[in-house]
Amino acid sequence: MTATPSLSVEIGGLKLKNPFMAASGTCGYGVELAHVVDLSTIGAIVTKGLYMAARDGCEVPRIAETPSGLLNAIGLQGVGIRAFVEKVLPELRAHDTAVIVNVCGESIEEYAEVSRIASEAEGVHALEVNISCPNVKTGGIAFGTDPKMTHEVVSAVRRASRLPVIPKLSPNVTDITVFARACEEAGADAISCVNTFLGLAIDIETRKPKLAFGTGGLSGPAIRPLAVRMTWQAARAVKIPIIGIGGIANASDALEFFIAGARAVQVGTMNFSRPNVYTEIEAGVRDYMNRHGLFSLDALTGTLKFPR
Amino acid sequence: MTARPPAADRICRVVARESLGGPYALLTFEHEEVSRAEAGQFAMIQPATEGELILRRPFSIMDTDPSTGRFTIFLKAVGPGSRAVFDLREGENARVLGPLGHGFAAPQPDERLFLVGGGYGVAPFALFSKSLRVASSPFHLFYGGRSASELPLVSELEARGIRMTLSTDDGTRGETGRVTAPLLAALDRAEPGRARICACGPEAMMHAVAKIAAERGIACEVSLDPWMGCGLGTCLGCVVKIQDPGEPKPKNRPACTDGPVFDATRVVWPHGDHR
Repeated sequence: MTATPSLSVEIGGLKLKNPFMAASGTCGYGVELAHVVDLSTIGAIVTKGLYMAARDGCEVPRIAETPSGLLNAIGLQGVGIRAFVEKVLPELRAHDTAVIVNVCGESIEEYAEVSRIASEAEGVHALEVNISCPNVKTGGIAFGTDPKMTHEVVSAVRRASRLPVIPKLSPNVTDITVFARACEEAGADAISCVNTFLGLAIDIETRKPKLAFGTGGLSGPAIRPLAVRMTWQAARAVKIPIIGIGGIANASDALEFFIAGARAVQVGTMNFSRPNVYTEIEAGVRDYMNRHGLFSLDALTGTLKFPR
Repeated sequence: MTARPPAADRICRVVARESLGGPYALLTFEHEEVSRAEAGQFAMIQPATEGELILRRPFSIMDTDPSTGRFTIFLKAVGPGSRAVFDLREGENARVLGPLGHGFAAPQPDERLFLVGGGYGVAPFALFSKSLRVASSPFHLFYGGRSASELPLVSELEARGIRMTLSTDDGTRGETGRVTAPLLAALDRAEPGRARICACGPEAMMHAVAKIAAERGIACEVSLDPWMGCGLGTCLGCVVKIQDPGEPKPKNRPACTDGPVFDATRVVWPHGDHR
């Protein structure tokens, strides 16, 4: 007799029916996907980054495809937190998936205010703190590449909300464990690891960057080994759960992150081309758990047999 | 806004492939939902095999057959993504998401239509001509390219009995010069009454057509073709500047979900008026 392995997880107080989330900036506000994807197959939707005000984002071109990757500079185009809560959230919360609001700010006060509004809304389950967007001139990555600033922002969000607080780390730092520890000390409940890598693609004929913003954030399978390594490092540095992110395209990719130390994962770039990948990932992970006699994913997390 | 056919993401088979010479081909797929697409809608397509390319590419629907659940695209291989689809052979599988976006508005009674297709932008007008015939709307197609080799769909369109005026920049086929010259001549000759221009092609062509329409007070729709990542409105890579009535300034709107067909008077052209 085989018991069905459980895929439910608890991430810093956030209970999810499965550990497969849709990453911020790759699934809109969830509702955009609903006509082609059954959102109940996704553990949580992490919204596009939200500031207080609506934002128009960068000029085009905003995206460029690179080998096994995608370089983007969208610039956090969005409707703003109040419009999200009033106009989008009622539709989103009708779906059977958890809602995580990606919180942005140009100042620590703005992060706190967006967090407060999101926390008071019905149907928001957690906050992901965006301290790592490389494509805005103020805020974003500036807060995620200085451990003191990281601590201040996460502390402010912590004070503003009772929801699970999940900072999303930038990989564009020398030692990610410094930032993981700063988050944990500031009261974070979990850590999203990682955002995009700062990149540059050039049109050799015009000698201009391929993106209007200049540089962009690199995502997709090209960054996966980097993200797995950083997940492994962060997981060993802190006690709070790590959510692994970076180029996950199938079950095998997701399993690498669990073995490296993640308790949940986010699918990002693949939402653009394979929005229904979640059912494949879930089936593949279940199959793996059956083959390896695992009843819960916690038994797999952090079991990397690293050479001494 | 009318209810649009629902979209679906399916792995489906290439049931026919016809080379049109050079980088051009017609590909027919089996896909129930896309076979009910409206003219101007599109599908996001990539081969079903795993490869280095991640993003699908958008292709305008050239023809549909709801009775067999099939649809056809007319494509030009221009980069690695469209080349991968061009290289698909009969019997091979592709990932097809569609139908997506807003197409051309349905014909109104007594409306006369001027269709302007530049290069591979002519594709949606093959499908549009069917609904225009059903509605008994008079229409004429202006099909232009740089040279004869850029008008590979002529015999396909002729076989459908579509009346058209051809033009090439170098004079190797039809009238010599830009597609806007025969359009202007036809507008001068046209009887007064309700008219609409529908354009799909290079941005400079559509901008020129939009200016002609504005000068003459004729309704005009343009099908915009920015770099598209997902087709679902989630990547926000394909935004275009749209000035809505009553709004203080233009807003970035995804062409994939808010378009790709827009009322030309609302489009803020990215290269301004100097082109």
